[in-house]
Amino acid sequence: MAPPGFLEADGRNMSRATVLMLMAPFFALVIFAFLYPLANLLSISVLEPQPTLEHYQRVAENPVYARVLFRTLQIALLVSLLSLALSLPVAVLMANSRGPKAIFLTACILLPFWSSVLVRTAAWAILLQRNGIINQTLQFIGITDEPVRLLYTQGAVVVAMTHVLMPFMVLPIYGALRNIPADYSRAAAICGAGPLRTFWEVTLPLAMPGIIGGFILVFLTALGYFITPALLGSPQEMMIATLISQQMRENLDWPFAAALVGVLTLIVTVITLAFSKVFRFERMLGGRV
Amino acid sequence: MSIAGFERPTLGKIIIDGVDCTTLPPNKRNIGMVFQHYTLFPHLSVADNVAFPLKMRGISRSERRRQAEAALETVRLAGYGDRMPKQLSGGQQQRVALARAIVYRPRVLLMDEPLSALDKNLREEMQLEIKRLHSELGLTVVFVTHDQGEALTMADRIAILKAGKLQQVSPARELYERPSNLFAAGFIGEMNMLPVEWDGQRARLVQGEEIVLPDQAAITPVTPGPAVLAVRPERLSYARAGTAGTWAATVRDVVYAGAGTLLITSLGDGTEVRLRIPSAGQEPVSPGDAIGLTCPPEAMLLYPQEGA
Repeated sequence: MAPPGFLEADGRNMSRATVLMLMAPFFALVIFAFLYPLANLLSISVLEPQPTLEHYQRVAENPVYARVLFRTLQIALLVSLLSLALSLPVAVLMANSRGPKAIFLTACILLPFWSSVLVRTAAWAILLQRNGIINQTLQFIGITDEPVRLLYTQGAVVVAMTHVLMPFMVLPIYGALRNIPADYSRAAAICGAGPLRTFWEVTLPLAMPGIIGGFILVFLTALGYFITPALLGSPQEMMIATLISQQMRENLDWPFAAALVGVLTLIVTVITLAFSKVFRFERMLGGRV
Repeated sequence: MSIAGFERPTLGKIIIDGVDCTTLPPNKRNIGMVFQHYTLFPHLSVADNVAFPLKMRGISRSERRRQAEAALETVRLAGYGDRMPKQLSGGQQQRVALARAIVYRPRVLLMDEPLSALDKNLREEMQLEIKRLHSELGLTVVFVTHDQGEALTMADRIAILKAGKLQQVSPARELYERPSNLFAAGFIGEMNMLPVEWDGQRARLVQGEEIVLPDQAAITPVTPGPAVLAVRPERLSYARAGTAGTWAATVRDVVYAGAGTLLITSLGDGTEVRLRIPSAGQEPVSPGDAIGLTCPPEAMLLYPQEGA
C-alpha cells in the first residue's frame, strides 16, 4: 500500500487543509461568477425601483407568464423523456461493447459534444426549413403537396433540444451500467432469468442512479435552455429563457426579468430538492452500486 | 464457467443427469451456483434475493415467501429476510447466496471458489456448513477451489484440471497417495521428484544407488530409460550415513516447526529432497551433516519423465 499522499485519488486520506486548498478555485469561481450575480439579480427583483414585490405580483397575475412557465416545464419533461428513451439503448450498447466498437460508439456520442451548440441548432434549422431536405422528401414521396411548417414550432425545439442534450443522458447511464459487475447478470441467468428478464429485474434497477442523474441533468438544463428555443422556436410559444432575455434586452425591464429568474430558480431548487429527497444525491452520476 | 453455461466448450459435451446441456443457455440449465463474491443483488432484500429464482420460475408470491424462508432456515439465517445484503457480514452474505442457489432444488450446485473471499476462521466454519448441507440435501456439489487442503477436506472425489484438460478424477485418498501423473503428484501436497534411470526392475539414482521397486510403483507403464521417482516428504526417514540400503544425502537446512520438523537435504547431484519428520525422538542433525535417506518401498512412485 502506498502511503496516503497529495495525489491519492481517494480523497478520504487527505487533510482538511489539502481539501480546502484544492476546492478553493472552484468555490471562488462559483461565488464570483454564479452566486454573486444571482444574488445581485434577485435583489434587483425586490429592490427596484424601491423595495417592492410588484414584479412578482406581475408574474403571478398575468396568465401569459404562467403559461410560459408551464410550457417550459412541459417541453423540458418531454425532452428528458425522449432523450431517456433514445439514450438507454445506446448506453446499453456502449456498456456491452469492447475494443474498436466501443471507441467508435463513444466517438459518436462525444463528437457532437465537441461541436458548438449553435452549430448543431443551426443544422436543425437547415434540415427543417421550408425547402429543406425533410420538406423536399415529404413532397417527393407525396405525403404533402405544399411545404410543411417545421421550423419555428415546438416540435422543432423538442427534437433539436433532445439531440443537443442527449450526451448528458447517455454518459451517466453508461457510467452506471459499466459499474455493474458482470457477475450480477450471470447470477440472474443461473437463477433462471432470460436476457430481457435480467435487464428488467437486475440491470435496470442497478443503473437507476445513472438514469436519474441523467434525467435531472437534462431536465434542469432544458428548463433554462436558451439558444435552441430562441433559434428554432415559435415566437408565439415562448419558453421562459427566451422571455427573460426579451425582457432584459428588448424591454430593458431588468427588475421584471429578475423576478422571472427568481421564479425559475425557485422551481429548479424545489425540483432538485425533491429528487434528492427521494434518491440520495451521492448515488447520482454513476454512483457505486 | 462451462458447466454454468457462460462459456461454450471447444470440445466435448456437458451432460447433467443424462441431459446434454452443452448448448443450453445458463437460465435453462436449472443448476445452482454460488459465486466467489456473493453477488447478492444489492437492490433486493435478503428474502427477495433468495426468492429471485422462484420468481423467475413463475411461483406465486406467498409460496415464494414460504420457500425462501425455509431456505434461509437451512443456512441458519431465519429471520434475516427483511435486511439488505449490505447489512450482513461476508459469511452471512455467502450463506444467503447459498440459500438462493438451493431454494429451487437444482440438479447440481456449482461453487466457484465460494470461500476465497472469507477469512480463515469463517472459511473453516463455512466448509463444515457446506458439508452439512451437502449431506442434508443430498445434492451433487461441484466445488472449484485453488486450495488443495480445502479440496482434500471437502470432496468425495477430486478432479484436477490443467489448462482446460482433466488430469485425474479420483477419491481424495487415492489422489494423494497414488496421483496418476507428475502434474497431479506435484499439485496436491508436497512431492519430492528424483530423476532416475529405469531398467524395468530397478531405478538408479544419478549418484549411483540402485532401488528395487515393487510392481505397483508405476501407475502407468514406464518404459526403460530416464524416469522420475516421486516420494512424499512425510514418508522418508533418515539413518546414519552409509547405512545399507540408504541414499547418501547432505543436510542443508533444518526447519523446526513444533510438532514436525522440515529437513531439507540434497543428493550428490544437487537434487533437493525434503523430509517431514516428527520433531521428537530423532537423532539431531545439523546443516552439513551427511546422512542416509530411507523410504518404504510402497511409498515410492515411478513416473515417465515429463514430456516423454
